[in-house]
Amino acid sequence: MKINVPPDMQEILEEFLVEASEILDNLDQDLIDLENSPEDSELINRIFRGMHTLKGGAGFLNLTSIVELAHRMEDIFNKVRNGELKITSDQLDILFEGLDRLKEAIEMLKEESEIPAPEEIEDILKKLDSILESGSSISENEKINQEKAENRESSGNDKEKPQRKLKFKADVPEGLKKLIEKYPDKDLAGLLEEIILMPPEERPMDIIPVIEKLIEEGKEIKDLVEIEEEKSDAEPEEKAEPVKNSPASSKKSDLPQDPEPQKAEPQKNVSKSATKEKKKSSDVIRIDVERIENLMNLVGEIVLDRNRIMRLISQLEKEVRSETIEQLNETVISMDRTVSDLQIAVMKLRMQPIKKIFSKFPRIVRDLSKKLGKKVNLVIEGEDTELDKSILDKLEDPLIHLVRNSLDHGLETPEERVMMGKPEVGTIKLFAYHEGDHIIIGISDDGRGINVEKVKQKAIEKGLITPDQAKQMSDKDAYSLILMPGFSTKDQVTELSGRGVGMDVVASVIYSLRGTIEIDSEEGKGTTIILKLPLTVAIIRTLIIGVNNQIFSIPLHAIIEIVKYEKEKVKSVGRFKSLVLRDEVLPLFSLNELLGIKESDNKKFVVVVKVGEKFIAVAVDKLYGEEEIVIKSMGELLENVPGIAGATIAGDGRVILILDINSLLNDVKKELLGVL
Amino acid sequence: MQIEDGKQKELEIEEIVGSAVSKEIQVIGFELGSELVGIPIEEIIEITTDKDITPVPKSPEFVLGVMNLRGKIVPVTTVKKKLGILEELPEDIYSKNKIIILDTEFGEVGIIVDEIIGSIKFYEDDILPEPTGTIGIEIKHIKGVVQLENDKLLIILNTKTIFSREES
Repeated sequence: MKINVPPDMQEILEEFLVEASEILDNLDQDLIDLENSPEDSELINRIFRGMHTLKGGAGFLNLTSIVELAHRMEDIFNKVRNGELKITSDQLDILFEGLDRLKEAIEMLKEESEIPAPEEIEDILKKLDSILESGSSISENEKINQEKAENRESSGNDKEKPQRKLKFKADVPEGLKKLIEKYPDKDLAGLLEEIILMPPEERPMDIIPVIEKLIEEGKEIKDLVEIEEEKSDAEPEEKAEPVKNSPASSKKSDLPQDPEPQKAEPQKNVSKSATKEKKKSSDVIRIDVERIENLMNLVGEIVLDRNRIMRLISQLEKEVRSETIEQLNETVISMDRTVSDLQIAVMKLRMQPIKKIFSKFPRIVRDLSKKLGKKVNLVIEGEDTELDKSILDKLEDPLIHLVRNSLDHGLETPEERVMMGKPEVGTIKLFAYHEGDHIIIGISDDGRGINVEKVKQKAIEKGLITPDQAKQMSDKDAYSLILMPGFSTKDQVTELSGRGVGMDVVASVIYSLRGTIEIDSEEGKGTTIILKLPLTVAIIRTLIIGVNNQIFSIPLHAIIEIVKYEKEKVKSVGRFKSLVLRDEVLPLFSLNELLGIKESDNKKFVVVVKVGEKFIAVAVDKLYGEEEIVIKSMGELLENVPGIAGATIAGDGRVILILDINSLLNDVKKELLGVL
Repeated sequence: MQIEDGKQKELEIEEIVGSAVSKEIQVIGFELGSELVGIPIEEIIEITTDKDITPVPKSPEFVLGVMNLRGKIVPVTTVKKKLGILEELPEDIYSKNKIIILDTEFGEVGIIVDEIIGSIKFYEDDILPEPTGTIGIEIKHIKGVVQLENDKLLIILNTKTIFSREES
């Protein structure tokens, strides 16, 4: 179902989308918590409010199927909080499904400006209704015809309590009096809502500004009438009442002449505690990522200019000696500090807590373990650890894959565990912490661990290594075999782990972020996988080197040391050259052969890089020194060039390529396994 | 509903104009080898000369390298081979060059040309849809040809097929 949002509502729609995604993400966690503490009334209220806000927002935008779904779930939690209903684990599954459908709908709305057609959500609505019915005997029909029901109720009220005839103050307009009498339980914001729900021809348009003004002045209905306090006491509770009747809400979008009251309405319609939350979050502003990206780029340019100026000054100092230059130097040093601070400050803007991903795991683990019949206790540590948003965004899939792997392949079934003398409930730990300018993200389980021999056997079968290589291989090297392309195979992929993402894809994502993966395992005891990632991707320190008069830069984090190239230390071993460095023998390549460019006979230096657990020597012609650079993308056409991580612009305006040593060595890595 | 009505009206007017006068098309003409080639001006971002091009190892063959376009990194390509024209790059191509920057599916992409002729205008009706086998260019990358007044044949390139995801 296509949704057409008028241009003046576009902003509201965008705000709604952001808010809705946030609410849904929180609800995921809340529902999990609910399973563990079903009596927590604060929690139940929170879920109820979340659904309520979602429904309200969707109502304005006439997103009928979202309203329907949220409405049902809201009703369910309304019953739960009134003690009329207790949620069973199976019912929770349905609620989760409902939540997923809502997420899908929001996603659809975001991507294609469509929402599911009514018949598409029929099945889930039925399921949700079955929960409702299990609570009390309110029938489905009655809920759909809520409007009627409500009218009946209110008219019934009038008859039952004729004493409620109100006396109004003199300055209250006639239309408003009627309204207040018709909806005695509503507060002013509620009345405004009722007006919007009315058919257009019956809508008393002149009353809207009056009510708005009253709300602005902080007046309440009791300020307009001369009645006893008791009745208005009921109001705060009523405020939390759900926005009733979704079918009528479809008329709202016919009312574009008054976007202001519509927009203001959901906030006034929520309960008091929610208002408090709103206040707290007003200290926070949302900024488009694009703007931050732009700022980051500009800061990047300043960093480059600073580097240029500093180089020029040191040249100038050599050429001329003068007081002014000294002063200039001091000024630039001070600017240098400011720029560094600025760089950090902007970087921090992009930092987000890893909670954003971690919070999805309780749900994933719950669903998976249920499906697999395994018992798991998920421990999450360091969820407030922050890292760059662009890294964070790319980590979700790899982490999900790793956790699935742990659950599926790592953990044993409860029976197996008991037999092995382990606690019946397995533990998966997800943790994150900072280490220097890196972030460490790890996942560990106390499952069966990795069987080294099995891995080696498989690698031999797949032709990844030879039996000889297998024999010489250390355990750690063997573990890293599972990261190689072509290792995970179809026959091993189960419904859960297999989503077309193998460990090799996980590894390549991590490498592309200039991170490393370390696998540690003990058979029978468990496996730990550690991801080490840089805090930011935009600015890195590199070594500038040259071959064949071409200049390249290598990220410093990959470099262990630099030594002079000495011919007598180079030996030929089989197909490979190697370099004797102190007591070690390292495989040696010229950068030319790795890059596939013409060989030069001009090697002066050897850069020793660390790839996985290995040191590899790379010979180059020239060294230009160290430089902080800003990575720029080379555009879509060249995004998949192996060995090139990106490019940067040098002081003279030329483009310098940034090498990705890990992927550059990918081709030779396979052959190298076990050679050492 | 109102908006839709408005749109419909607009369309109608355009149709009337379209049927009366053929649309004028403006291309930037340039030479590739001995062929005169044109690309519609809407697809061209800018024309630039003598840029420093940094070769990119392991990139696709038609990518000559990357250049700095006001702080942005833009790939520079050679299209002759794709078009079936003999490719002979001079040695100083990495610093002496004429580049047309195009707006493609992959973002901004530069193509190396031999000589820039300039703007050429003609009417849509002048385009002959099916180039016969007489021109030496791969047909799938051609939108059509135009017989110019000076008897020259202008070949209009289809940049969409040259820079498409399937193609690379």
